[in-house]
Amino acid sequence: MSTDEKKKILLVDDDTDLLEQTKIQIENNGYTVVTAENGEEGWKIYKTEKPDAALIDLMMEEYDSGFILSYKIKKDKPGKNIPVIILTSATFNTGFKFGTSTDEEREWIKCDEIMNKPVVIEELVEKLDGYLMEKAN
Amino acid sequence: MESDRTKNVLIVDDERALCQGTKRLLEDEGYCVSTAENGSEGISLGTCVEYDIALIDLKMPDINGLKVLTEILKAHPNTVCIVATGYASYETAIEATKIGAFSYIPKPFTSEELLRLLNQAEYKREILIEKAKWTKEREERLLEVAFEKTRLNTIINSISDGLLVINKNSEAVLFNPSLLKFLELDNIKIEERIIDRLHPELSNLINKVFSASKKEKKSYSAQIELKADNQLYVEATCSPVVNHDGEIAGIVVVLKDITNLKKIELLKSQFVSMVSHELKAPLAAVNGYLQLLSDKSFLITEEQKQSFILKSQKRIDGLLKMINDLLDLSRIELKKIRREIENLDLTELIKSAIELFQLNLKAKNISVTFNAKSNMPKLKGDREEIGRLFTNLIGNAIKYNCENGFIKITMEYLSHFIVVAIQDGGIGMKPEEKKKLFHEFFRAKNELTKDISGTGLGLSIVKHIVDSYSGKIEVESEYKVGTIIKIFLPAFEKN
Repeated sequence: MSTDEKKKILLVDDDTDLLEQTKIQIENNGYTVVTAENGEEGWKIYKTEKPDAALIDLMMEEYDSGFILSYKIKKDKPGKNIPVIILTSATFNTGFKFGTSTDEEREWIKCDEIMNKPVVIEELVEKLDGYLMEKAN
Repeated sequence: MESDRTKNVLIVDDERALCQGTKRLLEDEGYCVSTAENGSEGISLGTCVEYDIALIDLKMPDINGLKVLTEILKAHPNTVCIVATGYASYETAIEATKIGAFSYIPKPFTSEELLRLLNQAEYKREILIEKAKWTKEREERLLEVAFEKTRLNTIINSISDGLLVINKNSEAVLFNPSLLKFLELDNIKIEERIIDRLHPELSNLINKVFSASKKEKKSYSAQIELKADNQLYVEATCSPVVNHDGEIAGIVVVLKDITNLKKIELLKSQFVSMVSHELKAPLAAVNGYLQLLSDKSFLITEEQKQSFILKSQKRIDGLLKMINDLLDLSRIELKKIRREIENLDLTELIKSAIELFQLNLKAKNISVTFNAKSNMPKLKGDREEIGRLFTNLIGNAIKYNCENGFIKITMEYLSHFIVVAIQDGGIGMKPEEKKKLFHEFFRAKNELTKDISGTGLGLSIVKHIVDSYSGKIEVESEYKVGTIIKIFLPAFEKN
């Protein structure tokens, strides 16, 4: 990690246990973490805490709460300024597939990556490091 | 037998002596004879009764014999008429045969001449009667066939499955309106090469049947999406029609609408996805805590350790409850087939349900009032199901209530429904939450419900039960004020 102050990560998930666990894990990797339990709260905290990156759960109060919050954040700071990673367990086994391979998807899925839950913490941290490094350059 | 029957003969002649004499002669020969002494009497008798043979004198004072002949034949075309004339006038005789007389006999005539002619007349009469019989039968047969054909057509045109019969050249031979609807065609011409106008998957299926081996005579089925986006899904079955040589004479194609079936299949697999999602979450959470507890690189306080263990236990509890609720849900589905119907006293059932929650009520200091109108009819239902219904509702009324809150339960009988209303002065719901109230796994998530645990299945179980009894649920609710849930269950008063 650079000698700059710790990067701040916004973590949004309606599962409070997962929120607590992931916060501990990420902070253990040298980040500061602020949390929210739904999309609305997430947006509020985003505005007040101004995080450097966001990790957002997909299904919260709505089936696509994660996409909605990600869209708002990206609209606020377009491009790769605030990297947003969506986490979801609704892939592969369930047959749902998200991606940015079609125009329609590119239109409304505005995030940098979609990762499968349960996350392997090392992978997640690696991605975060990667995005934030890119942003620094 | 027709030939043994006594023949009826009518003699119309104004010569009384001749009339009587002929009558005696014929009666001796075994005929049954009636006489008329003038034309109008002759017409009257001859039209009223169908005689086998009529012997008509042409020259009579009041009415011409030809007129009598005409009238009798009009009424009974199968009466064999013989005209007698004393004038030996051939024109009149020929005129008579043109009108329909069988023969003529010039007067005077001998008994032999008369009897011989009558014999021929009898024979003619037999033929006429036979012919009439066959004509009648043929008409009846044709009517039957037409009726059968109409009946068959009516049946074919009424069935909702699409029907298409093609010959060995893939030309249309028979079809029904449902088929036109499925294929979105205005019309099909008989003998048009219909296979060219069919959905490719359907023509492939037909060709499969054609190319199948002679010995097989197999039918082929396929599920075909005729209209994209699941708008029309059919199950197509093609069966060969084989003639006595074993050759394919044609194919019968039946299309059955399975769009709804496909929709249900989709819903089922979506439900399974949701269930696995809901089951994975608590396991992932417990796994996460275990990882933290077992990883030496983390510095966790003793307090945190205890918290992690407690929270894990809570998630496992929730998981078990959810599995039980899911089993209940599937049991409810089975119950629909194997219910044990009793005459249930709902007052007693609801009181028992309230009893079950005594501890919970005390813990939150919630007061319960239960007012049931007297003379409530019994409900025909399964005790377990209806018991579960009220347990879930009362449980919710307690869970989503506040300290020192109240629950008011009323029961009345209204136009063939038992109406039970459960009101609480608790948390209530926001409008968007109310919309999703009965969805599987839905749980309201706001600051007031933060600490309330549940599986989100309780109310969907309630709805399943109410629906299966053809009942109704009404919900009124205001956030931070309270909720009223009204259950309508059909019941009939005993007379």
